Amino acid sequence: MRLTKFTAVAAALAVLLVAAPAIAQDAVQGVDDGTQLTLWTRAATQARADQLIQAYNASHKNQVTATYVPTDDYQTKVGAAAAANGLPDLFSADVVFMPNWTSAGLFQDITDKINNMPGIDKVAQAGINVATWDGKKYGMPFVADLSVWMWNKKLFKEAGLDPEKGPTTLQEFADDARAVNKLGNGVSGTFWGGNCGGCEVFTWFPIAWADGADILNADGTESHANSDEWKAIYKVFHDLAADNITKMPETKDETGATWTSYFSKGIIGVMPMPASLTGVASDQLADADIGVTPIAGIKGGQSTFVGGDDIGISRDSKKADAAWNFLSWLQSDEAQIEVVAKNGNVLTRSDLSDNKYSSADPRLVLFNQIASKGQTPLAKNFGATFNDPQGPWLVLMRNAVFGDGSSVDADNQAMNDSLNP
Amino acid sequence: MTPDVPDAHAARGGLSFFVRRQLMGFVYTIPTLVLVVLLFVTPLLLVAKMSLSSWALLTGEGAYNFPKNFVAISRNQLFWPAVWFTIEYTVVVTILLLGLGLGLAMLVQAQSRWANIMRTVFLLPVSLGLAAASLLAYGFYSPSIGPISPPLEQLGLIQGPIGFLTTSLSALMSTTFLVVWKYAGFYMLILVVGLQGIPDDLFEAASLDGASARQTFRYVTLPLLRPSLSLALILCVTGSLLAFDQFFILTKGAPDNSTVTVVQVIYREAFQRQNLGTASALSIIVLVVLVLLNALQFRFLRGSDRD
Amino acid sequence: MSNTQHTGIGRTPYFVLTGGLAIIFLFPLLWSLFASVSPQPGTGQTIGFGFGNYATMFLFGAGLPLIALNSIFVSGLTVAITLVVSALGGYAFARFKFWGSDALFLLTLSILMVPFASLIIPLYVLLNKLGLSNSLLGVSLIIAMYQLPFATFMMRISFEAIPRDLEESAMIDGCGTFSVLWRIMLPSVTPGLVTVGLFAFLAAWNEFFAPLIMLTDPNKQTLPVAMANLRQQTMGVINYGATEAGVVVMAVPCVILFLLLQRYYVRGFMSGAVKG
Repeated sequence: MRLTKFTAVAAALAVLLVAAPAIAQDAVQGVDDGTQLTLWTRAATQARADQLIQAYNASHKNQVTATYVPTDDYQTKVGAAAAANGLPDLFSADVVFMPNWTSAGLFQDITDKINNMPGIDKVAQAGINVATWDGKKYGMPFVADLSVWMWNKKLFKEAGLDPEKGPTTLQEFADDARAVNKLGNGVSGTFWGGNCGGCEVFTWFPIAWADGADILNADGTESHANSDEWKAIYKVFHDLAADNITKMPETKDETGATWTSYFSKGIIGVMPMPASLTGVASDQLADADIGVTPIAGIKGGQSTFVGGDDIGISRDSKKADAAWNFLSWLQSDEAQIEVVAKNGNVLTRSDLSDNKYSSADPRLVLFNQIASKGQTPLAKNFGATFNDPQGPWLVLMRNAVFGDGSSVDADNQAMNDSLNP
Repeated sequence: MTPDVPDAHAARGGLSFFVRRQLMGFVYTIPTLVLVVLLFVTPLLLVAKMSLSSWALLTGEGAYNFPKNFVAISRNQLFWPAVWFTIEYTVVVTILLLGLGLGLAMLVQAQSRWANIMRTVFLLPVSLGLAAASLLAYGFYSPSIGPISPPLEQLGLIQGPIGFLTTSLSALMSTTFLVVWKYAGFYMLILVVGLQGIPDDLFEAASLDGASARQTFRYVTLPLLRPSLSLALILCVTGSLLAFDQFFILTKGAPDNSTVTVVQVIYREAFQRQNLGTASALSIIVLVVLVLLNALQFRFLRGSDRD
Repeated sequence: MSNTQHTGIGRTPYFVLTGGLAIIFLFPLLWSLFASVSPQPGTGQTIGFGFGNYATMFLFGAGLPLIALNSIFVSGLTVAITLVVSALGGYAFARFKFWGSDALFLLTLSILMVPFASLIIPLYVLLNKLGLSNSLLGVSLIIAMYQLPFATFMMRISFEAIPRDLEESAMIDGCGTFSVLWRIMLPSVTPGLVTVGLFAFLAAWNEFFAPLIMLTDPNKQTLPVAMANLRQQTMGVINYGATEAGVVVMAVPCVILFLLLQRYYVRGFMSGAVKG
């Protein structure tokens, strides 16, 4: 009898002792004990990553040292480091490259840490889904890039369109572009990066998603680039190109180096752009003339490409707890509002969309809100298939849009081969 | 080849003079030996090893699979087009570089002040790195900020922007122009040296015999330039066959994969398709081809050298 | 003998031709200077002409002074290693015949036949094992290795051009081999040494790939990598102003060195008078 009572008390104590740290964890995740952490990320995220890292270093004992790598060479550098076991504590990845690296085991399994993090359900799920492989979670969003449609209100007014109304379907997009194109005088209806596979990934995938379709199957092993939905999308752009509604020949040659600069020159009616107002206004384009609307499908709807970088703890790191302190802090109110929102960037926490910094501009609120309507495509061989300038997506897309589209089915076979080497 | 100087110390016993000289020579080459063996031969052996197994970039060594890697890379759809393109590029660049180099050399070989200035000007682009020069060219050819397309467009002399990199032919010619601009001075230097080595009496004799400038060039200058031209040829061919940086930066293989070189295929296999096995196999193939090619060139160019 | 007799063209056409060629050669360089200070949207210099792009570059990353210092360090180290190794080796190949000397020489030359992309991964793994992976020394060693074919060849023909009597008389006077090298031979091949040093410097200063892969500490970054970072920020869009300013900054030391040393390297090439 006494033994049983003793056991019961001991059991209760044990439960309390185990539960206590879990309760205390609500306050601080991971460990902040002055550890030095190394972090690699692409130059493309440098400005925003730097803001976050400086803020973290200023308020924590842990210190993060960031190495910025030229964007075009990031994959090469990580690959070389992986081959030689020289990965840093933390490193980011373009979201479409995450499956490639999670499946190769370059990141540590942080499923439990993520599942137990309070408020994790408010973090953009697309960013976590793409970092999940085989049921295990390896990363979280770091810096987000979304895609939207932007239109030039001044040109719309001149073309006789309602300057406050942006397109709500793909057809309206094309019609608005055609109307603006009639203005002539160096003005074009629209623009896109015709020689840049990644540009279309960023700006056309949401069109299909808004219609409930997709270009890939769920695990990224099958290409639907020749489906009826996609053939319809190619046709719209094919006609826009053939009728010179887009600035030619620049569109056909644009490799991605300058595609966003055309809108700022004030000569484009409506085109997809990254969801950021920083640096868009210029001498030729007043900020008040920039209209923003979510990307829509053929039938309407709204979607966006949840891009940017995810970040995880590398397999070679021995400082997982300290690294987790940084990772979890990234999603905290303090980081999201005082650093990200304050600098006019897109948040990774959907519940904070309408915060004191963004609420002044409804366009910023819109950016924050559409993240939850967007997706991130997942495929192990995404980069080699879609981003590679020598890859099959660019070939298929150019044949469909600048050619006569007859080879789409054959080109799709090359896509499937590339997704499943 | 050792000097025939008797060494008084040798009489003291120990190693003979010649053996000591041999050892001395060897000792002086130890740094070279160490550097070459450590940083060249060892990695090269590893490359050979990687070509024999399936080897993924991120996950490491797999099973032995010879000759699968070699077969796979030769069946790669970029392989043969890259080979033809690289050869095409090599021929074009070599002809232009050696031709222009020779022309420049003849123009600046005098000892005058003007010739010295000209020589310096032609040599300036050599001081740039190839990457920097490619970046320069990237901006130079740009339809928005370059100095050729936009001004001509604004002056109304042309309709649309000039597409320097839009068709495969224009991309090839634009890159060729970049490379020739950058390296012409270097080959000019090699050939100037060769020209200066031709004794003046030969030219005098030729003009006394009534030879025209063209005849002098053909029968006096060219044959005596053979050694310099051979060196230039070997350097140029090897360098062009291994061209990478300029295409990587300037064209990225565009448009539509028409300017992809063999080394670009190696790079892509290793880092985009993450297959070190096939990348290494291709590296080995390229090395074997180059060794054979250079051996042939060497033998052919030396064969009839009567120096 | 004047040029006209060799080339067969008159005096005026000569000046016109060379002058025209000179303009074509100089034009891209001058344009680069011009573009780096011109106004461009989306760069550090959007309105009017000025040095905005250079200001952006100065403050970028770890700061231009530190990055430039790293580049200078790597370049200097590469020059030192290259000169020592190739001078010793070139002397040996020129003057000593020993078992395996031809083979070693050819092996050194064959370095030219393997592209860096092929060797980069094994080299990285190797340097990692030697503890040299995140070090400026490691990078310098790699660049020096790639300079060996040209450098050793250059030094060899430079030494071969020196008349043997010079050495022989020194040896008769009782000089050991090493002091012959140090006191007699090296001073005679100064043009060759300067040429080798200059080209090694240019290679190291402009090298991008090796520091990219080998160096991770942001305080050890060199100029070419920092320039690449600056050039391409968000969404892959290129900052042209920064690109051209970067080209200028990278080129200026090279051009200056080139101009200062030109008497030497012309003679350096000639000292071998490329024989058969």
